[in-house]
Amino acid sequence: MDFVVQLTINSIIAGSIYTLMALGFNLTYGATKFFNLAHGVMATIAGYTVFYFSSQPLYISIPAGIFAAGLVGYVLDRTIYSPLRKRKASNMVLLVASLGVFTALESLIALKFSSQHQSLPEIFASVPTFNLFGGSFTAIHLLIVASAAVCALGLHALLKYTLFGKAINAVSDDEEVSKIVGINTNRLMGQVFFVGSAIAGVAGILVGFDTVIIPIMGMPLLLKGIIAAIIGGLGSLWGGVLGAFLLGFVENFGIWHISGEWKDVIAFGLLILFLIFRPQGILKKS
Amino acid sequence: MQKNLLETQHVSVQYGGVNALDDVSVVIGEGEIVALMGPNGAGKSTVIKSMFGLAPIASGEVLLHGEPYVPIPHNIVHKSVSYVPQGRRVFTHLSVEENLEIGGYIVKDKSLVKDRIAAAYDLFPDLKAKRDKYSGTLSGGQQQMLAIARGLMTDPKVLLLDEPSLGLAPKIVKEVFELVSKINEERHTAILIVEHNLQSLLPIAHRAYVLDHGKVIIEGDAQKVASGDILERIFMGTYKPTH
Ligand SMILES: Nc1ncnc2c1ncn2[C@@H]1O[C@H](COP(=O)(O)OP(=O)(O)O)[C@@H](O)[C@H]1O
Ligand SMILES: [Mg+2]
Repeated sequence: MDFVVQLTINSIIAGSIYTLMALGFNLTYGATKFFNLAHGVMATIAGYTVFYFSSQPLYISIPAGIFAAGLVGYVLDRTIYSPLRKRKASNMVLLVASLGVFTALESLIALKFSSQHQSLPEIFASVPTFNLFGGSFTAIHLLIVASAAVCALGLHALLKYTLFGKAINAVSDDEEVSKIVGINTNRLMGQVFFVGSAIAGVAGILVGFDTVIIPIMGMPLLLKGIIAAIIGGLGSLWGGVLGAFLLGFVENFGIWHISGEWKDVIAFGLLILFLIFRPQGILKKS
Repeated sequence: MQKNLLETQHVSVQYGGVNALDDVSVVIGEGEIVALMGPNGAGKSTVIKSMFGLAPIASGEVLLHGEPYVPIPHNIVHKSVSYVPQGRRVFTHLSVEENLEIGGYIVKDKSLVKDRIAAAYDLFPDLKAKRDKYSGTLSGGQQQMLAIARGLMTDPKVLLLDEPSLGLAPKIVKEVFELVSKINEERHTAILIVEHNLQSLLPIAHRAYVLDHGKVIIEGDAQKVASGDILERIFMGTYKPTH
């Protein structure tokens, strides 16, 4: 029984991290319709920015990390993706370009900070631990879940209640008509990259606080975010959240009686099942 | 003298070396309804797209108020020109009201946007009843109304309507044309309307252009264009240019 509680808690924590990765991925995918693989390295950038500012108080280093991820996302769009879009490059070209960006930025981080893992400064002098129905979790885990909730609700509010958000939805729906009504879609996409990348940054920082940071941390986060987005329904905010938690639960309960190494096998197995039997995901956005 | 608001002058558009438009000059004057007709693939939509910077202009130019203008899609709406593209392209994941808000995206004064949404609901009572529904759930006719209403949110001087009656029931087509006429009379909006449906369009149009294979083959007073049999011959495919 306690074990079930613990697995449930672990699932919720994992689902929250995947939610944070899926939110931004879905946002940029919706607006641009390409798989931005560089999304994963945004988490790494944010984590390492917090590390870089280790001597600063957290109320400076954490916002700096989130901002750095957003800024890099924005600059990538301006300098690489936007020129490619203007030249009418296919989404496959954009995907390959983003993979190149991912690899290059990851290598640069490893060159600067070494490829070893590092620890972020402590949030708590000693991390408080909580017990609930026989399961345990830390204050950082609580922070992870709360951040995912705040980001999901915040993004929802942005899309639903601001003209900026409605314009993002409009561009996701029909880019050409969005231009016709006067939306500078190219500029908007840059802003979307800022927001999406910043949310990935939140994920990277939280993972760093929970465990460690390492230059190769971006890829697993990216893959889980993408799986969550696909099984949830690409481009759909709440679909991505559902997908993230489904993935978190299936992964964690899947390894109940077997070794933890099976987690990724289970995750990709779930992806493949969806691709075969429900390619549009849980919440379809067609 | 009537002022020219928006025009193409000797515009040619090429797609992969093939001429979609060949030396096309189309003028929209202040307050008039201009019909743009011709068979499928004649280049009617491309004329509008070229005015909006959405088609690659190989030669010729677009003039705005008689001055050369290099169209950039998201800028021309600031020049009081609205475009309602072919195929009822509403934002299906936005509600009816959100579609209208986005129609007023460039309008700085948001209380003006509210007023115009209210005016749109007066003009289209059907839309008011569905204001909170996703526009993807509307009927074809309602979507077309919404697309037109969205185009009116900037209170444009020029409205470009691409095949607003396509796929609609005859009764609704009639409503659409009555509305076009009404907008033109009440707001003095100049309207370029691309249409297949000659019977409904020619009575309300002031001037007409007939396009075939990317060339303007007839232009002039709408009634005169309507009176000849040339239109039928074009649509039947028996028209032969005389050169
Ligand atoms: N994006 C495009 N790429 C290639 N050819 C195009 C494109 N858009 C239109 N065309 C071609 O240009 C011609 C005119 O098209 P269009 O203006 O849509 O005709 P109409 O609106 O009169 O039916 C057609 O032969 C069409 O195939
Ligand atoms: Mg057309």
